[in-house]
Amino acid sequence: MLRKMKGLISLALILFISALLIAGCGRNTIPTGENRKKISVIVKMKDASFFNVVRMGAEAAGKEFDVHVEFAGPDNEKDIEGQIKLVEEAVSGQYNAIVLAAGDYNKLAGAAEKAVNQNIPVIVIDSPLNSDRIKGFIGTDNVDAGSKLAETLIKRVGTECRIAVMNFMKGAASSDLREKGVFDTLNKYPDVHVVSNMYCNSDESIAFELTKKAINDNRDLDAIVCTNAQSSVGVARAIDTEKLSGKIKIIGLDSTPEEISYVEKGVIEALVIQNPFNMGYLGVRYAIDAINNKSVPKLTNTGLTIIDKDNMYLPENEKLVFPFTD
Amino acid sequence: MKHKTLSLFRKIKLNSIQSVIALSFTSVIIFSMLIISFALYTMFSRNAEERAASSTQQIMNQVNINLEAYLKGMVQISDTIGTNFEGDTAESKINISNLLEVTSKIRKDIVTMAVYKESGDMIISYPSGILNKNISVEEEDWFKSSFKNSIEYFFQPPHVQRIFEGRRPWVVSLCKANSSYTDSEKPENYLIMVDMNFSVIEQLCKDVTFGKTGYIYIIDSSGRIIYHPQQQLIYTGLKNENINDAVNRSPGSYFDKFQGKQRIMTVKNISYAGWKMVGISYVDELEENKRSFERYLLLIIIIGVIFEIGASIFISRKVSQPIKRLESQMKLVESGNFSIQLDVKGEDEVKKLSKSFNLMVMRIKQLMDEVILQQEEKRKSEFKALQAQINPHFLYNTLDSIIWMNENGKYEGVTTMVGALARFFRVSISKGKEFIRVGDEIEHAKSYLIIQNVRYKDRFEFFIEAEPDVLRYKTIKLILQPIIENAIYHGINKLQEKGEITIRVYTKEKRIIFSVSDNGYGISPSALKDILDKEAQSEHSFGVGLKNVNERIKLCYGNEYGIEITSELDVGTTVNITIPLIDD
Repeated sequence: MLRKMKGLISLALILFISALLIAGCGRNTIPTGENRKKISVIVKMKDASFFNVVRMGAEAAGKEFDVHVEFAGPDNEKDIEGQIKLVEEAVSGQYNAIVLAAGDYNKLAGAAEKAVNQNIPVIVIDSPLNSDRIKGFIGTDNVDAGSKLAETLIKRVGTECRIAVMNFMKGAASSDLREKGVFDTLNKYPDVHVVSNMYCNSDESIAFELTKKAINDNRDLDAIVCTNAQSSVGVARAIDTEKLSGKIKIIGLDSTPEEISYVEKGVIEALVIQNPFNMGYLGVRYAIDAINNKSVPKLTNTGLTIIDKDNMYLPENEKLVFPFTD
Repeated sequence: MKHKTLSLFRKIKLNSIQSVIALSFTSVIIFSMLIISFALYTMFSRNAEERAASSTQQIMNQVNINLEAYLKGMVQISDTIGTNFEGDTAESKINISNLLEVTSKIRKDIVTMAVYKESGDMIISYPSGILNKNISVEEEDWFKSSFKNSIEYFFQPPHVQRIFEGRRPWVVSLCKANSSYTDSEKPENYLIMVDMNFSVIEQLCKDVTFGKTGYIYIIDSSGRIIYHPQQQLIYTGLKNENINDAVNRSPGSYFDKFQGKQRIMTVKNISYAGWKMVGISYVDELEENKRSFERYLLLIIIIGVIFEIGASIFISRKVSQPIKRLESQMKLVESGNFSIQLDVKGEDEVKKLSKSFNLMVMRIKQLMDEVILQQEEKRKSEFKALQAQINPHFLYNTLDSIIWMNENGKYEGVTTMVGALARFFRVSISKGKEFIRVGDEIEHAKSYLIIQNVRYKDRFEFFIEAEPDVLRYKTIKLILQPIIENAIYHGINKLQEKGEITIRVYTKEKRIIFSVSDNGYGISPSALKDILDKEAQSEHSFGVGLKNVNERIKLCYGNEYGIEITSELDVGTTVNITIPLIDD
């Protein structure tokens, strides 16, 4: 009897102590952050400067809201299959949400919807995706970008001028929308004459050649509007080599280092630049909201900034134009 | 419902041993647990607050020390260049160029070092490069203000350095204007610029966190951001920081409510550059630690209480269960079942208790058996005594004597005899009563003596002396007659001369003594010894009546009472009967 009781008491003690230990261990795992939410940010191309700024924004949000942000992307922007695979890996890797800059409007939709089916919310940034099941889109409004280009042109050159437009890809959504924005705005100014509307297929050398030809054809050209980085650089190079800087003003888009140096040189009059940092930041922030079942705006415009020689070194613009510290 | 709970309460029985033990155990342990938990909690939370505050301070001090070391390094480099620069001469240029090269090898964080003339022309730089033709430094603010105040070190907030073509590093610049002390007549002023890689500052501050999301930012004296983890968000308006508040604060810690969040703002000055470092930590994150401790403590208390309640129920059951079993078995004894033997398992004390109880029950049973036996024996001897009275021998002898007297015309004698016989039997029967008055007993003896005296033709004389007081007391009946019978048959009968029987009844020390003396033959000591011995002798021999009387008295009154015989051969025998003095 006595022995039985002793056994019972020691059993109870063991249970009690182990309960304490378990409780203690459970506590110990909290600060290691293993149960933090994981968000996968998948971009079109891992080492592109634009997406590195997206990454900075995403990581800033990760730090602010205490979530783990994993950044991924194919080595090549055209590697759509690679990006689809990355999305699938994020789904099987039990990420809580995916922030996606889709390399293709249609081809990524299936993978993204697979994630949604697994209760993983998808936030799309930079380029829209052909799916109505995503939580929200954060990026530049392409029509707005086009009209900003046109407005800047009017401001810098005046309401009476002859201009050319350098688009980058006929049929691509972003190209067509920007073109639409440019022309919608310019149509309000009857004295602005578009003498040439060109497409460079996102190729600097094509843009260069097309520009040279346009200059030759139209000696009285006042300005050229370019709707992406490659067209801006190609046009600027042509103007520079023809020593026409100042005479033919260039209104470009985005801020690659080459474009920036052309701005400093005075070849490019002004640049309309996007805000990739905010895309990354808001992408992660809305992803967290989506995880927590809070409502996320369907469409968020990260806005555009107009940069020129005089304001690019102002503190508020310096970070946008030169996002890297090293 | 109410009724149910009431009956449940009744069932629990608040005053049972089990509930007393369980309740007192539980309350003592819960009370002490609460006290310990409270003490622990108070200690921990105070500790946690202190630790959070001091760790914030420590981290900020550390960052500050590192930052100041970098800034001081810049100042020292600038000073070294200043003391070694001896004007825009070829010799001096070589010296300085060597110095700059060495310095940049030691200090990897230094991006550019340059010396400018007041005109804006660069005298020397390390590393060298193609100058950016798009800017003219002499028109820049930092250049002009440095010359305006040539005593101060002029720290330029982080910016993109663009003096060279193709290089756009983020730097923090230190500018210092000096006047040349070369021996030329016209001393020319010059400016030393040292650029430090901004990522040094960023790296220092980026990974600093207080709690989960607390951070550090740095501003200059006019409130411009030097470093902020969310600098870009602030510029684009996605985020706000109360920089204006921080600018005016002197070093110390402040509570600050910003955008609905309770924060602790710790301000520190950074010397050399006149900057301010501001640490932001969120109160609810510090509290999170406290809350998780609260949860842990609560868990322990709940586990402890559950365990403890279980243990006290177990222990109290262990103690009270055998007692309860004991109680239920005792109830059986109470209701008359004496054949029970308790077999209660339990603690030592309970075992002992049940053992003693068993012994007690056994003893009671024994005593009860004894009483029953005694009662039986008493009845038997009484019956025998009665039987002796109606001895047919005695009766027909007596009747013979009466007939004889009648035939001889002794009618007086007949009357006496018949009267005596009648009294004798009346007392013998006494309506079946066991106890009669002493007076009646004496009357009985007297009747017997009268009858026997007639039968033995006056062969003896008898005397009865009784204290008048003693007559009213009670005695068991038929105790004198057997003694007298003995005296006559075994004492007087054998005498040649006339016998004498004396009966005295008196009280002595709360006892009644019936004393029957004869002057008869006497009893031999060996016979005397056998007379009262229970075992010896068969029924019809000498002393049977005596023995019966003795047993009846002892059964009735106890062993201290009974018959005592003193006898001497040829002198006589005295039999003393002692019974207690019992009032009516």
